[in-house]
Amino acid sequence: MVNDILIAAYRFPKRVIGVILRPYETYRKISSDGKPWELGFIAVCAVCYFATAAIVKTSLFRPFLLTRQFFALFSGAAATYIIAVGLFWTVGKLFGAKGTLRGLGISWGYTLLPTIVWFWVTSLLYVTVPPPRTTAPMGVAFSVLYLLFSATLLFWKVTLAYLSLRFALRLDLVKILATSAIVLSILAVYSVGMYWLGLFRVPFI
Amino acid sequence: MTDALYNKFVKRWEEVTDLPTQTVGPLTPFYKAFVKRLKVMPWPLLVAGSLVLVVGLYLLLGSAVTLLVTILQRGF
Repeated sequence: MVNDILIAAYRFPKRVIGVILRPYETYRKISSDGKPWELGFIAVCAVCYFATAAIVKTSLFRPFLLTRQFFALFSGAAATYIIAVGLFWTVGKLFGAKGTLRGLGISWGYTLLPTIVWFWVTSLLYVTVPPPRTTAPMGVAFSVLYLLFSATLLFWKVTLAYLSLRFALRLDLVKILATSAIVLSILAVYSVGMYWLGLFRVPFI
Repeated sequence: MTDALYNKFVKRWEEVTDLPTQTVGPLTPFYKAFVKRLKVMPWPLLVAGSLVLVVGLYLLLGSAVTLLVTILQRGF
């Protein structure tokens, strides 16, 4: 087990750099020889964000409230990850997917990197440049830059999600689009539930 | 040495031919030209796509984009 953790620790930074610079080749490798322990390192990144978000979201610096907020965010994100992987696996199988659940789980885990970066930067900006934005030139300029940053990360996320389904489930473009349409419709309903629970206003998918 | 090189070549060949090539009918050349830019260092294309989207949003909504950003900033 220690060996597996050490191998994952050695691979994880390389994978992250690969996902940033050479996503296609890196995703091919992640789907074929990714180790479950790599998800642990992604979870650590997520935990760093949840800790930041718990502090930013909780107005009172009370340990109980911070811990409750932290566990609520962590449980919500973990549940969303499991549901998303389960849905993609189930619906993908209906369209003739041939891969492994392990490959899908690990490769989908890496698609959380853009999500974590966006949520983390947004929570920091909430403190440093708090909303609401005004229609003054500086407000519009910030808004345009922020939207540019958000859209770039969204496109990166879409690219990684596509590669995840392509390599882990071995689906073609049409089947990936059909699978995504069905799964995202279900996740949209689920996200409304998360919104009403007050966990994530923007879905942490 | 030759065997090692050959084995490496076979492994790479199997990796590349593992999935059938994606085609999209008459649009295949455009698809391939687009995807080629996403495989290695996709950031210029991602930023260019975002720029088009954001300029489109600004033309559509004007300074109301600040409302969208306010909602997103409270969305974490």
